[in-house]
Amino acid sequence: MQWSNQARTSSQAQRLGVVICGVAILASSLMVSSVRAAESKPVSERFASTDTSETPNFQKHVTPLLGRLGCNGRACHGSFQGRGDFRLSLFGYDFKADHEALLAENTGRVDVDEVAESLILAKPIDAEMHEGGKRMDKDSWQYNVLRAWIADGAKFKSSDLEQLEELVVTPREIQFNQAGETVQLKVVAQWADGSSEDVTELCRYSSNDDAIAAIGETGQVNSGEAGDTHVVVYYDNAVVPIMVLRPVATPRVTQHNSDAKPIDVAVLQKLDKLGVVASPVCSDEDFVRRVSLDLTGTLPSPAEVRAFLADSSSDKRAHYIDVLLERPAYAAWWATRLSDWTGNNEAELNNVLPGRNVASKLWYEWLRERLAKNVSYDEIVEGIVTAKSRDENEDYGAYCEAMSEACRPGGEKSFAQREGMPLYWARRNFSQPTERAIGFAYTFLGVRIECAQCHKHPFDQWSKNDFDEFSKLFTPIKMNQAAVSKDGKEEQKKMLASLGVDESTKGNLLRKKLAESVLEGKTVPFGELTVNTANIQQRLKGQEAQAKKKGKKVDLRIPTGKILGDENEVELNQDPRLALMRWLRSPDNPYFAKAVVNRVWANYFGIGIVDPTDDMNLANPPSNAAVLDYLSHGLIEHGFDLKWLHREITVSDTYQRSADVNETNRLDRRNFSRHVPRRYPAEVVHDAVLLATMSDTQVEDVVQTLDGMAITDALSLYGSGKGSVFALDVFGRSARESNCDCDRSDAPSLLQSVYLRNDIDIHKRLADRSGWVTESCGKLGVAVAGGGIDKSRDESDERIARQKQVIQSRIMEFNKMPETRQKQMRSKLHAQYEKYSAQLEAIGETLPPLAQLLKNPKLLSSEPTAVDATEENVANSESFEAIVEDAYLRTLSRLPKTDELETSLAFIQESPSKGEAVKSLLWALLNTKEFIISH
Amino acid sequence: MRFHTTCDGLRRRDMLKAGCIGLGGLTLSQYTRLASAGQVSPNRAQRAIFIELPGGPSHMDTFDLKPDAPDSVRGTFKPISTNVPGIQISEHLPKLAAVADKFAILRGVSHTLAAHQLGREYVNTGSRPIPSLEYPCYGSVLSKERPGEDDIPSQVAVPKAGHGPGFLGIRYASLETNSTPQFGQPYSVRGLSLSPGIGVDEVQKRQQLLKKLDRRFAEFEEVGGLVDGLDRFGEQAYSMITSPRARKAFDISQEPASFSKLFGEDSFGQSCMMALRLVESGVGLVSVQLGGWDTHTDNFSKLKDTQLPKLDAGLSGLLTGLEMRGLLESTAVMVTGEFGRTPKINDRSAEGGRDHYPRCMFMLMAGGGVRGGQVIGESDDTAAGPRHEAITPDDVAASFYWNLGIDPTIEYQTNTGRPITLVRDGKVIDKLFS
Repeated sequence: MQWSNQARTSSQAQRLGVVICGVAILASSLMVSSVRAAESKPVSERFASTDTSETPNFQKHVTPLLGRLGCNGRACHGSFQGRGDFRLSLFGYDFKADHEALLAENTGRVDVDEVAESLILAKPIDAEMHEGGKRMDKDSWQYNVLRAWIADGAKFKSSDLEQLEELVVTPREIQFNQAGETVQLKVVAQWADGSSEDVTELCRYSSNDDAIAAIGETGQVNSGEAGDTHVVVYYDNAVVPIMVLRPVATPRVTQHNSDAKPIDVAVLQKLDKLGVVASPVCSDEDFVRRVSLDLTGTLPSPAEVRAFLADSSSDKRAHYIDVLLERPAYAAWWATRLSDWTGNNEAELNNVLPGRNVASKLWYEWLRERLAKNVSYDEIVEGIVTAKSRDENEDYGAYCEAMSEACRPGGEKSFAQREGMPLYWARRNFSQPTERAIGFAYTFLGVRIECAQCHKHPFDQWSKNDFDEFSKLFTPIKMNQAAVSKDGKEEQKKMLASLGVDESTKGNLLRKKLAESVLEGKTVPFGELTVNTANIQQRLKGQEAQAKKKGKKVDLRIPTGKILGDENEVELNQDPRLALMRWLRSPDNPYFAKAVVNRVWANYFGIGIVDPTDDMNLANPPSNAAVLDYLSHGLIEHGFDLKWLHREITVSDTYQRSADVNETNRLDRRNFSRHVPRRYPAEVVHDAVLLATMSDTQVEDVVQTLDGMAITDALSLYGSGKGSVFALDVFGRSARESNCDCDRSDAPSLLQSVYLRNDIDIHKRLADRSGWVTESCGKLGVAVAGGGIDKSRDESDERIARQKQVIQSRIMEFNKMPETRQKQMRSKLHAQYEKYSAQLEAIGETLPPLAQLLKNPKLLSSEPTAVDATEENVANSESFEAIVEDAYLRTLSRLPKTDELETSLAFIQESPSKGEAVKSLLWALLNTKEFIISH
Repeated sequence: MRFHTTCDGLRRRDMLKAGCIGLGGLTLSQYTRLASAGQVSPNRAQRAIFIELPGGPSHMDTFDLKPDAPDSVRGTFKPISTNVPGIQISEHLPKLAAVADKFAILRGVSHTLAAHQLGREYVNTGSRPIPSLEYPCYGSVLSKERPGEDDIPSQVAVPKAGHGPGFLGIRYASLETNSTPQFGQPYSVRGLSLSPGIGVDEVQKRQQLLKKLDRRFAEFEEVGGLVDGLDRFGEQAYSMITSPRARKAFDISQEPASFSKLFGEDSFGQSCMMALRLVESGVGLVSVQLGGWDTHTDNFSKLKDTQLPKLDAGLSGLLTGLEMRGLLESTAVMVTGEFGRTPKINDRSAEGGRDHYPRCMFMLMAGGGVRGGQVIGESDDTAAGPRHEAITPDDVAASFYWNLGIDPTIEYQTNTGRPITLVRDGKVIDKLFS
């Protein structure tokens, strides 16, 4: 609704407001703007007595009344098993089935001859007879409605169904001033035939937060706590939310400057209404850490923090955001998030490509490459939605060659260059049309339509029919390991033959054989995505020919499906995904841009503008529609430029608010008046521990290569024996399996606390010989014992050194080989590395990633264990001060406060072993809440 | 607090979300409220031990012998009498035969899932697996319904959980030991035990330093309980790491050899003993696995030489030990594989083997309100199916929950807000408790 409309009707609003308990009411413009016949009186008046000639309508009166009386609820006859052999459609939108159930023969539910004997009249008035208790009084208006309908013959024809054009609810918005106030809603149904009816008494009502606004069965809204929420009105297929707001403090005139950014204006306007004062913008220290972790999933380095704090330019925050957007970690982190939303799950891709963990790696890299190049969001989605297995003009042989290459170690880079990412369609949990309908709506629309699979969606307009028609769109798409286009079948056979695979080899054996062959450098056959439209044409032709032969006429129809919310049929004789994609990127699409905006927003705020982020429906309106509209329109106008979106959000004051609260915004979680602390995601926590404990030299390398970091692709750590997955599981990375953004958890747990305090991973990192503690203490000539790691280590030291030497020489040999030979040997080297890596892992030693070693095999040379314990005195308190500062910077991204510095220095001074003390200090900082909670 | 919407039009405050704050999720007052509403009953078994036999143990060579069946089916094992008149079990389970009064045998348990993974999911949850939704295992439900104490985990799996917390979420996942205890040797668990080189002194010193430095959110006012929750978990972690309770409970070397020998000297037996120690110390549910039952070949020698002696010693030791310590009445015990094995003996190896067979299997129940020394259900002449009405894994699950004072028809919401009945199709087997 336009603001101007509200202004136009303000005089009427005030009049209404005075009539109803002195509350300011904003009335709907629709009441006055439409030219319609005056609406009829409420049904309770019309049917107060039996003295009426009106016949109630099944759609408009009887079904809604049954809903109002609770008959078609889930606990009663709306249950899938029904109750007492009588079943109604849940929420009553299947008129035909309900009518049939009511009139079923020999049930006596509706008896047009002995009207009063009809069970639907006799039972609900009698608590004894009816298991569901008494629902209405005899001779009440409800009774009279049902009675009159039966007396008239209990009629209904599906062809008589009428279109509800608009459900007009007044007031459109409610503002309360104190607890205990009430406002009565009025609901008018406007039908396509031009008639209007007051249906207030026939609607269902619900409240999104009854602590703030409770709503009674009759549509009376009662104010409770301060805050804002929506009450929702349901009638026929309409779902109308009404905002209810009770200010926390006296509403403010305005708190934004004239030069405020659009997001801030929209947020502050809402806060003004609520009387909430926004927290000020956060400190530079908080900002640099927050934005780096949110935008790139990576801790800022100590040097970076120092430089940022020292920078005195006024636009340094915006400048820093631009720097971050160009980092490799930006693309890496958001490819992880996009992998979450698109459902990149190795377990579901198990049999699609030869080799374990290959498919999800390719999927991830394909996304990462595009984010790094800032390919627009709609193009990325197009590459997934309309994906073909083969590139333009690629024949089957070339395709298999390219995919074989892609499936070898390091091959993801070449896959990322391919046009499409068809793996999305290959998942096991995405093979049925209904699963695809649900998954597609989840991923690209942020809509949960699964309810409509069985019954009308209770919170949205979707009917079961809408769901079925939408599902049909996905029927022609097929993708699995065996599916191959016609023109490739011959080649596929040939390839199998040349690999020495006979036709009886199938299933796991075949996959194993193919995986081996790929690693040996051979080209193996691949399945591909096929769109089964040609068949439809042929089948139709066949049917036609047959029919002609027999001289019969048949109704030959091309199968169709429908896009959600679209009346037009999409014929399935061509790839329906093209139509789907056109619809997605059309500026009119009500969900596509909003879904991604909302998810990106939630990454920065811990809560979506629509919350939950994947549940956009009519009954769950955005907490601030203006912000969502601004950003989604802006995204479309900027050609779906994701970096525009990130920048627009992160430069806003709204994003940069401090976590400190004031009296008015203490309880706020959904109006963005302050920063709401949250636990960082699993991958980010994992990497933060890594970066905080690594030596400066290691950090420098890792932030460029991202090697070993979980944000690059947590899944590639599966089964690699690197011991990192445990942490990721404990901290709730997304399982990516149930079409729900809640697959990722940011909830804290006991096990997480145990992990950070006492897991062997943590002790090992703190005591790592090439880690920061050793490095920084080494500079001071202070010894660090391997406390916390297995002491049998000393005995195995020699073995470790020996094995490392072997690997090192293998790698150096490899590096000397000519390129062609390297190509052949790469997988062998990889296998050797994996073997040694696993062996070393078993005795508590972690190897650097292979890619890193190839660049610098010397990484494996034993580090000089520099340090002589007797020289501890060398270090003075000044140098320890620098260490404490560094420890703070690399964990909490800030300098210690005076008292913190004193506490830390005193702790070090008092400790007999200085090296141990530094380790303990770093341990303590890793275990502060400040380390894993955003602020 | 978030709302989740459900398909059926209900909107409820999200109990699961709220649950992450307190350990196990319920405050005492919530618990009392549920107790008075009949959703949990304080008067039955308080804790549980779930013994899983992955691979699928042969029913007719263990607890459901058919001495009169034809050669092609009967097998080489003979039945022996137990200490309960009329009940016979395999000759290779003599120790269990001597304590048959302590457990109930369910025969003719039946389902249709002949694949290991699906079968295991079924018997670990009591609900037939469906693709769209993963049900929680017993321990996760118990740790949600029964909050534990600070310094002891609420659920432990030795060495691995047969099934996860499903839709209840990872916070209800069990603590997996990842290894099994060995006879006579000290035992510890990842993260819970102090690592070599770090003493309690050191941990205490670090904790004191942490307390001094962890000031950022000290005065912080919050609604969501995040800071509060982290503080609580931090304290619990500290308690668990430093308190001897959890460590002691895990450390089986504290038992005298005379006691630990009751369980057999292999790792399964010692795991059973550790399970006893853990429930004794306040752990809600301990799951223990004994694998190796997938006897497609050499069924009889594998059972006779390896599997049955381990099961016999470990389980009889557990039941005896629980009774000795006065824990049998407060500890519900359930033993199951994912299916039985084919009555017909295959000829894939010299002595023959048996294949997957879900239509007929056995399960065992003991402890809590279960009346031991009885057989419930019956299989037909060749142990090929239930003779009368089948007992389903759902029924057994319902009974297990019932034994623990948890209403099996309690309704949960999945993380997408779908309403789910805990045990979808099960009926409590009244006879178990009569």
